[in-house]
Amino acid sequence: MKGGLVWGAAVFLALVVLMAIFGPHFRHSYEAPIAKPFLPPSGSYWLGTDEQGRDIFARLAYGARMSLLVGISVQVIVLVVGVFVGVVGVFGPKGIAGPVMRLTDAMFAFPDILLAILIIGVFPLGLMPVIIALAVTAWPAVARLVRTQVASLKDREFFIASRALGASTTYLVFKHVLPHLWGIILAVSMVDVAGTILAESSLSFLGIGIQPPEPSWGNMINQARYQMESHPIVLLWPCLILSLTVFALNFLGDGLRAMADPRSR
Amino acid sequence: MFHKTKFLRSLVVRLFFGLLSLLFIAFVTFVADELAPGDAALAKVGEKASPQALANARHEMGLDRPWPVRFVEFVGNAARGDFGHSWFGTQEKVSTIVARALPYTVKISVLAILLASAIGITLGTISAIHENRALDRVSLSLSTLGVTVPNFVLGPMLVLVFGIWLQQLPNSYDPRLPQPEVFYLIIPVVILAARPMATLTRLTRASTIDTLKQEFVKLAIAKGVPKSRLYVSHVFRNAVMPVVTAIGTSFGFLLTGSFITERFYVIPGIGFYTIEAIQKRDTPVILAMVLVTGAMFVFVNLLVDLFLPLLDPRIRESQV
Repeated sequence: MKGGLVWGAAVFLALVVLMAIFGPHFRHSYEAPIAKPFLPPSGSYWLGTDEQGRDIFARLAYGARMSLLVGISVQVIVLVVGVFVGVVGVFGPKGIAGPVMRLTDAMFAFPDILLAILIIGVFPLGLMPVIIALAVTAWPAVARLVRTQVASLKDREFFIASRALGASTTYLVFKHVLPHLWGIILAVSMVDVAGTILAESSLSFLGIGIQPPEPSWGNMINQARYQMESHPIVLLWPCLILSLTVFALNFLGDGLRAMADPRSR
Repeated sequence: MFHKTKFLRSLVVRLFFGLLSLLFIAFVTFVADELAPGDAALAKVGEKASPQALANARHEMGLDRPWPVRFVEFVGNAARGDFGHSWFGTQEKVSTIVARALPYTVKISVLAILLASAIGITLGTISAIHENRALDRVSLSLSTLGVTVPNFVLGPMLVLVFGIWLQQLPNSYDPRLPQPEVFYLIIPVVILAARPMATLTRLTRASTIDTLKQEFVKLAIAKGVPKSRLYVSHVFRNAVMPVVTAIGTSFGFLLTGSFITERFYVIPGIGFYTIEAIQKRDTPVILAMVLVTGAMFVFVNLLVDLFLPLLDPRIRESQV
């Protein structure tokens, strides 16, 4: 049952990835109006058309591309910064490790959404500020996680033995610390990417993320709600795909975490 | 034993860290202001003014002084509630906008946290008592939904069902209040409450299950304490502690996180004006909103820290 759901989530995410790669120009282009507005789902327009007569499937696919682009690029930045800061926090010279970890802690005093809003308020609206804002708000949590993991690895026997044999800190980090972290990092990343996709959609919904006419799930929901009285189905599609994607990522992340952490098995 | 001096000392430490967080938020906000295009002088003289006039205005307003001086001034002004003037429209005082918007945000946040706590604690306790049985499964699925369905999906769905199909609730807020205000508050409060309710349900459940396994509960059962008293005065009093902390944190996030709800339901609160200011590039308003909500966030967390020891003698004891 549980295994079946994890597989289901994985297959669904694979479909979303395929959709993001091939979907925006698969049957119809996402950009131009190609038919009458508000056509119902049919063989030609799988999910129907929106208020401007654009193919909803192609636009959802482009939205998937945007979500994955933001989700993955933010996560890459966050991992590079977070792992670096977390490792430096444990192995770095005291004069650097102390202040770096204090800064990490200080970041928690700042509610995420406010920091993101502040960054977006300063740069011109668009894709880049969204990526920067979400990366800046997300790295401290990863840095903290990596630091606690690294600090506990430091006291393990294999680590102490290797150090006693004269291994350098760089060697230790790459050979004995980082390989132990990949499992948990992969699991946490799934959940984090889900959070990032949700945050990007929220910003786009608010009109301060990805700007129309470029579609994203968030701004599609925002546009569709003005016609929800007459055409609720247009609103349904982006809501559905976003909720399912977030759910699948969380589910897969939890499943992976259970695998990475033998205690919970 | 309750140590007054210990308590006072911890109070001072907490206040100090609270102030430090505030200062950090102020500093980040100030840096953002420095990076933002345009400044108060440009807003005053207008885009078309000559570079010379702009430089004069900058000098007059003190914008050409070194940044540490201006940072101190910025903090001083903010502490007195002076955030300057909006760059657009009637160049209204930012503090007036804040004063007008804040009551709305506080109102829906307080109502939402009350609703979330009431339902979350009840569901969580019921879940724990019926661990792994049907009722538990139902409440867990509900809370999973609450965590996974985003606000801006839940919002349109609620309006669609209760506003458009059933015609029972208004589709958006109307400050003129043609109907009693309760009607206008139900949908936004429910949207805001969904997530904290889910978190509080899970936390109450976990905490109650933990408490139920402890020795003193077994003892109470062995002594024949009636079930109702067992749950209320033995289990609940202990299980609720971590939940109180979470209520505080959730409330802090509600105060800072009502952007979507306010924007969606057109409630003229802090979130609504912040987004509008970002779209217009009205820097003083953005900064003030971030500062004010940041300060409320710090303040609420401080209150929870101070409130906990009053509830729990163990925390009182351990404070140094």
